[in-house]
Amino acid sequence: MTAPRAVALALAISILGSLALVAIYVFGGSIQLQGIGLALALGGLGTAIVIWAVGLIEAPIEVEERHSFAAQEREASIAEGAADGEQISRRRFLSRLLAGAGAILTAALVLPAFSLGPQPGTDLFRTAWRRGMRLVDAGNQPLRPDDIVLDSVTTVFPEGFVGRPDTQTLLIKVRPSDLALPSGRDAWAPEGCIAYSKVCTHAGCPVGLYRAREHLLLCPCHQSTFDVLRGATPIFGPAARPLPQLPMEVDPEGYLVALGDFPEPIGPGFWDMTHPGGRRMR
Amino acid sequence: MEGDAAAGQAVFLARCASCHGEVGQGTALGPSLIGVGAAGADFELRTGRMPFGGAPGAQAVRKPPAFDDPTIRHLVAYVASLGEGPSIPEPRVETASVPSGQRLFIANCAPCHGATAHGGAVGGGALAPALDVATPVQVAEAMLIGPGEMPVFSGLPQGQRDAVVSYVAFLQAQPNPGGVSIGAIGPVPEGFAAWVLGLGLILIVVLVVGHDWRRGR
Repeated sequence: MTAPRAVALALAISILGSLALVAIYVFGGSIQLQGIGLALALGGLGTAIVIWAVGLIEAPIEVEERHSFAAQEREASIAEGAADGEQISRRRFLSRLLAGAGAILTAALVLPAFSLGPQPGTDLFRTAWRRGMRLVDAGNQPLRPDDIVLDSVTTVFPEGFVGRPDTQTLLIKVRPSDLALPSGRDAWAPEGCIAYSKVCTHAGCPVGLYRAREHLLLCPCHQSTFDVLRGATPIFGPAARPLPQLPMEVDPEGYLVALGDFPEPIGPGFWDMTHPGGRRMR
Repeated sequence: MEGDAAAGQAVFLARCASCHGEVGQGTALGPSLIGVGAAGADFELRTGRMPFGGAPGAQAVRKPPAFDDPTIRHLVAYVASLGEGPSIPEPRVETASVPSGQRLFIANCAPCHGATAHGGAVGGGALAPALDVATPVQVAEAMLIGPGEMPVFSGLPQGQRDAVVSYVAFLQAQPNPGGVSIGAIGPVPEGFAAWVLGLGLILIVVLVVGHDWRRGR
């Protein structure tokens, strides 16, 4: 392949990559596909510039004689060649292609600005858990403390919100005498049943790995380890905050019900977690 | 065939009592067996985890069973007679319940055993074993008793537990076309593939950039 064709091909790939990036963003494709589009756009542009510089720009070594002031015959012929019509039209074509590729890529990079809104409001501070809501398992069955087996772990949701990611909660049963919860939470663990948010406070993975003998919850993503008996305090790994504990009690019919929402925001930390307005809104 | 508890007691006193106590009450070396039931004894004996052969405090791992089938039946009958506990389950493996079994497996089992049931480390030196050779009965027993670090899943309804067993059987029946089993996907083989593909791409870029474009012109 000749150098001008290689440049044109690389620029065309860059333009197609940019267009694909825009299309995938607008129609909501996966972030991995967007990354491939961006890679094609930037890679094509870079390849074109490299081939252009190496293959198309003349850099002959000219040794100027000490006393030669008038234009030499050879220089004059080079100047004539540069003015040749075929050369100029090709250079103009490639230049326009380069400018077009750059412009489309720039336009594509403006798109992420549309992802900056809208504001999440209080969504990050609150979940659907409310006072009096029954804890139900994934099959929508309400649970009694007696039905929960010692050393078992069950993923529960508030009744009517089964499958809502931010409400997923782990219900674990331990011996009540083993518990050493922070003060004020003793009543939140009826008959040794204790519930924590299943969303890791480090990066938001589901904390699904329970080591029953040591009473430790591990996050499979980055091995953050939480002590279930001591209010899910992190004892290892990157998570810095305990998993929020769900306050709960047993209702008159014997089922486990929530006493309210989690006392603190679930999941990973975010920019205004300690914002006074945020605290008030909860 | 039911085992003979009296015959089991004789073997128990000879081979098990030094750690679990003369009447299975447990000692400093081994836990109480009262209430583990036939399911607990059958699981530990048939997977070779008991008698324990490792270093003190180490995790019991699968090895060939130490006893023949009649002896295991006798021991199981004796341990079951020590106290009320789960009996040996009889899971129904059905193709129709594989999809629901997959959902349950991903939600409850995959964090430790991995999505393809090939096992993994669970921290603190403990290991969630691969389920490639576990029989349906052993998988069902493990859910009932929660051996070692594993939590107990006997709270799941029978139908859901059978669905999980069906899904594990489905995973075990997956054909292996040979070669390196990257289908068992894990971070190591995945990373290996990423390196090979990534380095290949970089090589292509190097060839393109290093090509003598003047001569090609």
